[in-house]
Amino acid sequence: MATQAKTAPVPAQHTRRRIRQGGFFSQTLPFWLLLPTLLIIAVIQFYPGLYSILLSFQERNAGVAEFVGLKNFERVFGSAAFGESLGHTVVFLVGYIVVTMAVSFAIALLLNRKLKLSMVYITLIFVPWVIADIIAGLVFGLLVVPDYGLLSPILSNTSLFPPNGLSIPSDPAPRSWFGDFPFPPAPAMWYLILASAWRALPFTTLLILAALKTVPGEIVESAKIDGANGLQTLQAIILPLILPTLIVALFNLMLGGVNGVAMVFSLTRGGPGTATEVLSFLLYTIGFGRLEFGRAAALSVFMAVINLTLIMLTLRFSRTEERLA
Amino acid sequence: MQATIPSSSNSTAGYTAQKRATPWLVNGLMIAFVALMLLPIVLIISISFKQEADVLRKPPVLLPCYDAAGNFSLGSCRFVVEGYQRVLAPKPNPNALGGVELTGRMFSTYIPNTLLYAFGASLLVFTFAGMAGYAFSRYRFRGRRVLMIAILAITGIPLLTNLLALYQMSVDVRKGFAPVATGLAASLALGKDGAQTLQNIQEQLFIILVYTGFQLPFSIWIVKGFFDTIPRELEEAAFIDGCTPIGALGRIVIPLAAPGLMAAFLLCFVSVWNEFIAGYLLIARRDLRTAMFGMYDFLSQNIINYQVIAAACVLVAAPVVVLFLFTRKTFFEAMTEGAVKG
Repeated sequence: MATQAKTAPVPAQHTRRRIRQGGFFSQTLPFWLLLPTLLIIAVIQFYPGLYSILLSFQERNAGVAEFVGLKNFERVFGSAAFGESLGHTVVFLVGYIVVTMAVSFAIALLLNRKLKLSMVYITLIFVPWVIADIIAGLVFGLLVVPDYGLLSPILSNTSLFPPNGLSIPSDPAPRSWFGDFPFPPAPAMWYLILASAWRALPFTTLLILAALKTVPGEIVESAKIDGANGLQTLQAIILPLILPTLIVALFNLMLGGVNGVAMVFSLTRGGPGTATEVLSFLLYTIGFGRLEFGRAAALSVFMAVINLTLIMLTLRFSRTEERLA
Repeated sequence: MQATIPSSSNSTAGYTAQKRATPWLVNGLMIAFVALMLLPIVLIISISFKQEADVLRKPPVLLPCYDAAGNFSLGSCRFVVEGYQRVLAPKPNPNALGGVELTGRMFSTYIPNTLLYAFGASLLVFTFAGMAGYAFSRYRFRGRRVLMIAILAITGIPLLTNLLALYQMSVDVRKGFAPVATGLAASLALGKDGAQTLQNIQEQLFIILVYTGFQLPFSIWIVKGFFDTIPRELEEAAFIDGCTPIGALGRIVIPLAAPGLMAAFLLCFVSVWNEFIAGYLLIARRDLRTAMFGMYDFLSQNIINYQVIAAACVLVAAPVVVLFLFTRKTFFEAMTEGAVKG
């Protein structure tokens, strides 16, 4: 250690007493250590959260706040736009999660083999994660500009995409199969899912890979000896063992998917029409586009409830108890 | 740390597919997948080096390498830096660094702003998350458990929900501070520009604080995880050697927790660099806005100059990509550690 021993070794109890003694400052040290954090979080996160709840029961005109009870909630949840964008959000989430989880899992399994270049691969795969979603949206947008985009010769190929080829920025959603529910989605929605999965893949892959590394080799070995084939081992041994991580990854993706708005912003702006208007984008439009803060707050309270549920579920399935210790 | 990081592939305890069969197949699949992941980036770089005539070609060409007869030949490639020139707008200026001043808004205004906010917020997060993480890791006090869960739960408030209130707050603070700034500037004899400078400083501080508040909860969990891995006996040994708690912190704990603190700093830096919506909504003055706003702005300005947008994308994304490539291990450790949050 850096300091030279000045005194003879002291029993542990003695030292503990010495720490406890000290002045007022030392005794209340945890409080002082936490104070700046608590102040900042109170002002930047806690107060705005409470304010939004308050706002959701108010209507503001020219700076005058009027208590309107549940009117904002009724108007938001009763509107056609809410139902529609809830449908878009569900379609987006399902596509985004299925694509991301399936590809991540496959890639993590591949990376978990003894490959010399594993670190190089995971590093290169991770580059999209570092790129801002607004830039990723711009990049994906540039690739499908009608006529000039590098992907548009493929998309406008009429034999690949009959009958008229595909134009991602402008093709409207096909006729829905389920009444009001927006499925099948517009090409723009598929593309939004693809672009979002591109950014989310690396992180999910890393999570699953880290979990795979914790599966004890001996268990897999003994399963093999007992005559299990690769698929059976995966299903009976590996999947159950990494299930908590898969669930955490799932909730992570849902949280990101429900709240992400920048990609929609730079890639589709909710269009064509309202084909990619998800809840978070609707919230933006109501709040900052139309400046109807009360209704936006009502919608955001709804979204906060979804988020908190997701976070609490994540806590249940992750090693939180261990980490709280 | 409980989570194994992917780099530790030499551990025999972890499950690794043992069969050496078909490594070329696995490598082939991985290379194909990596290529697919990097494809959009490669394509955008190729667009950024084209000239307008080649960008607006029907049908589009991957590389602008066609001779007069329309045949592909590498000899006749026309790569230009026009896109980059239009983003940077370099002008000779003997006083500037290197004799050239970059007059494009992106590099004269937006990127310096982003750097200021990202460094400011990361430093605050580094300091405060370090303090809070240490308190949570080392002390058992009343309300500790509740506080930790509350800090985690508070990240459940959607960003846009917070922004509804913070937007009002930023307007109020700006209005409320205006007379203060005027008064202060007058009493300090700073003149009319002085009042504006004070206003700007107030706005910059506010946005740095907002970013700090957004990043703190997640960072605290990461940093606490790193502190937890440092054996308490090391500190006790330092106490025995006559160290004060603060001394032990400075000499033993902080050096050992440096990777964790660094991870919090880096993750915060990249998040703030990449953040768009809060900066866009909370910053009113154009000359205080961020690089991501600049990117968004390009979309509306150069609706047809795709090579300019592409060049801007490359220039703004490059710094964080390079930063990541140099510090990848820190990133990977912090992310597997902090994954519980979401």
